[in-house]
Amino acid sequence: MAPLSNQGETLDRIAKVIRSKNAGPFEITFDVMFDDAAAYRRVKDSGVIEPTRIAAAYRIPLADILVCKPFDAALAFKITIRRPVSSGDLMDNDVYGCQQHVPLTGILVPAVS
Amino acid sequence: MQEITGLAPSGSLGSGFNIEAFKRGLSLGPHFIGQDAGSTDMGPYYHGTGRPFLPLATYRHDLAIMLRAARAAKIPLVIGSALTSGCDESLATATGIIRDIAREHGLSFRMAVIGAEIGKPDLKRRMAAAPLESIGPEGALTPEVVDRCGPIVAQMGIEPFVKAIDAGAEVIIAGRACDDAVFAALPVLRGFDQGLALHCGKILECAGLSAIPYDLGEPMLGTIGRDAFVVEPGNAAHRCTTVSVAGHSLYERGDFEFQPGPGGVNDLSGTSFEQMDERRVRVRGSRFVADAVYKVKLEAAEQLGFRSIVMVGIRDPIMIRELDPLLEETRERAEARFGMRAEGIHLRFRAYGRDAVMGPLEPGGAPPREIGLMIEAVAPAQELATGVAMYSRGHLQHASYPGILTTAGNMAYPFSPFGIPVGPAYRFAVYHLMPLQDPCEIFPMTIEEVRN
Repeated sequence: MAPLSNQGETLDRIAKVIRSKNAGPFEITFDVMFDDAAAYRRVKDSGVIEPTRIAAAYRIPLADILVCKPFDAALAFKITIRRPVSSGDLMDNDVYGCQQHVPLTGILVPAVS
Repeated sequence: MQEITGLAPSGSLGSGFNIEAFKRGLSLGPHFIGQDAGSTDMGPYYHGTGRPFLPLATYRHDLAIMLRAARAAKIPLVIGSALTSGCDESLATATGIIRDIAREHGLSFRMAVIGAEIGKPDLKRRMAAAPLESIGPEGALTPEVVDRCGPIVAQMGIEPFVKAIDAGAEVIIAGRACDDAVFAALPVLRGFDQGLALHCGKILECAGLSAIPYDLGEPMLGTIGRDAFVVEPGNAAHRCTTVSVAGHSLYERGDFEFQPGPGGVNDLSGTSFEQMDERRVRVRGSRFVADAVYKVKLEAAEQLGFRSIVMVGIRDPIMIRELDPLLEETRERAEARFGMRAEGIHLRFRAYGRDAVMGPLEPGGAPPREIGLMIEAVAPAQELATGVAMYSRGHLQHASYPGILTTAGNMAYPFSPFGIPVGPAYRFAVYHLMPLQDPCEIFPMTIEEVRN
């Protein structure tokens, strides 16, 4: 459930695209994309997309966050993590890695004061 | 030459594409047609077996349209990573399809065939001389791992394609290749900037995935000029936006700023995207930085055994509540019967509807109404894998649990038979960088005059 507006909004209410995909068989990469420069700026300025929060959302070690940074030209954030296991290995669940985005959708973006 | 235009029919050979949009693209006078035909994306099975992802008829369908169009327009057709893994066997299959199409339609041309598979003895010699840097698998690459692998391929860069064009090839079909190299080779040969050419190639290799609406089966055009490139969809009703093109520049790449490939890194940190008109986007500033040592990426998958599955549905809420202890009990029974890990047997239960998609990354939620349970066994022999999966199914089907109401059977079967042999199971074991003296040294090219 979306939190009360005075606490801010979850990322899925603000971003246009939140997606995951293999970047090769040993990494999963996430793109959080916006269709509105103000919305992108709001999330960027809030600083909520940062490695410790991503590691906590996925319950993975901080060292497994390989990239986590904004890309102004695309109004997007790029996040890349080490795959828990490689694509299609015995304990894998998602060969394409394209359904691993959900924990990002709930990241709370504070209301603009 | 002030600019050069490439046409990408589809993001994946064999998946089909919009013919009308392709024709419109051709009417704009492209200098070449490029098509990517492979990936590691569909998992280790295709690299392990060397088998193509799709039935051959689908490749034949797409290739016939492209080949006839390229010959009619007298422009080169460049295909990379044929078919799927781009190993020698799949490349030979693709080459055979091209010969068949040429015969059927009376087409004549000079064809370059470029191999990308490295022989295991050659690889072992190189490994012994200097260990290969892993960019994925843990632990060193050993001769034993190499022996357990299917065909081992290397991703070629632009150089083998350049050599083929220089040799006058009108059709180039290559084994495993870096996707963007398929589209960048001809522009670089004609003197255009390699950073722009590779970035444009990165956009084109997925065709319409960088347009709105996004669709892998929609053709895309890329035109490289002296200081920028421009992309537009073949479909006049579709459009590219700065966000769609910039967004696609991130796609499947671990980092947008530094995109490593054969021989260097494409640096997008200074890239800008400009909306030219409603449908076209102009891109500037992408910069290729060559590495001191030219390296290519090796890929291969090792066989783990054979996989068999049983797929069932569970609707009873009490069983769903009691599922984990039941699965644990089933695992113990199978362990007692088959020995499991000590015998090289792996048993997994995937509870679809609960946590099968995300596994350990799953944040959790309310109990599901039903669960699709996949019982999966991987074992040294196919029959044994089916035996383990069916034994586990048999126990679960009639197992008792606290509060049970349904003593006539626990699980719903979508069809008969229950036990499905899936075939060999693999994992990616080679994902390493290998230095080369010459960017073409492990990519042998043969020239063939196809005459009909």
